[in-house]
Amino acid sequence: MTQTPPPGWRAMDLFDPYERYCGPFFERDADGRRECGFRVEPRHLNAGGVAHGGMLLTFADAVLGSAAWEACGRAPCVTLSMQSQFVAVARGGDWVTCRAEVTKQTRALVFVRGDFFAEGALALSVASIWKILRAGPA
Amino acid sequence: MTDAPQGYEALTIPGFAQTVGPVFRHRDGSEMQQRFRFVPEERHMNGAGSVHGGMLMTLADICMGRSANLAAEGGRAVTVSLNCDFVGPGKLDEAIEVEVAVTRRTRSVLFMSATLAGGGRILMTASGVWKRLGA
Repeated sequence: MTQTPPPGWRAMDLFDPYERYCGPFFERDADGRRECGFRVEPRHLNAGGVAHGGMLLTFADAVLGSAAWEACGRAPCVTLSMQSQFVAVARGGDWVTCRAEVTKQTRALVFVRGDFFAEGALALSVASIWKILRAGPA
Repeated sequence: MTDAPQGYEALTIPGFAQTVGPVFRHRDGSEMQQRFRFVPEERHMNGAGSVHGGMLMTLADICMGRSANLAAEGGRAVTVSLNCDFVGPGKLDEAIEVEVAVTRRTRSVLFMSATLAGGGRILMTASGVWKRLGA
């Protein structure tokens, strides 16, 4: 899917086939923090005509996972747990954004949360825990 | 489009569920308990060669959402919360069986739970709350 990033945004490097299939996703530096975004396309909608929860969770997994990966020095990490609250819908054509926040990091785990906004209005809140995969004890 | 396995029929929900699918529902499901099946392809994987976590959550949302709607007595229900624990990795081409149960049905919400398993191993457990629209 070719899609031009909005002014000031660049395409995220996506390494996972599933993220490439669902994307593109974009990123930019905003007030010293990384912000990620994607445009809700017709193929992302559910039968009710709004963004499918699974699509929003896919974007959330990509964004929060990327933040966990950066936080642990780009060691591979896997999702252990994700708690998601769907506060409001995102509609077709909406620009969905998130600034992920690493709330805690231990030797083995990274805790990351993020609020997702559709055209500036809160749509989804996610809290997640990631396991850092390392060769041997760190 | 993959043929439906014996006893199953493909979900025909338009949109993202068809984009990532096919997902199949077992015909023997009851109003409070349903079974689904999905076979991961290359496009569903992560870079480490496992099924992407976003895809597993998508599969849970599709199957739990379909089950919630089937239990909503003709109404529609939408996801308000979904909690997923990733127990083990899913593999390419290995069928994932999804067991969904309605834990409790009230006038306004449905409490749902699901287990995703592949090759005899649990891949993910999920629970969530669906809101019945207009209720």
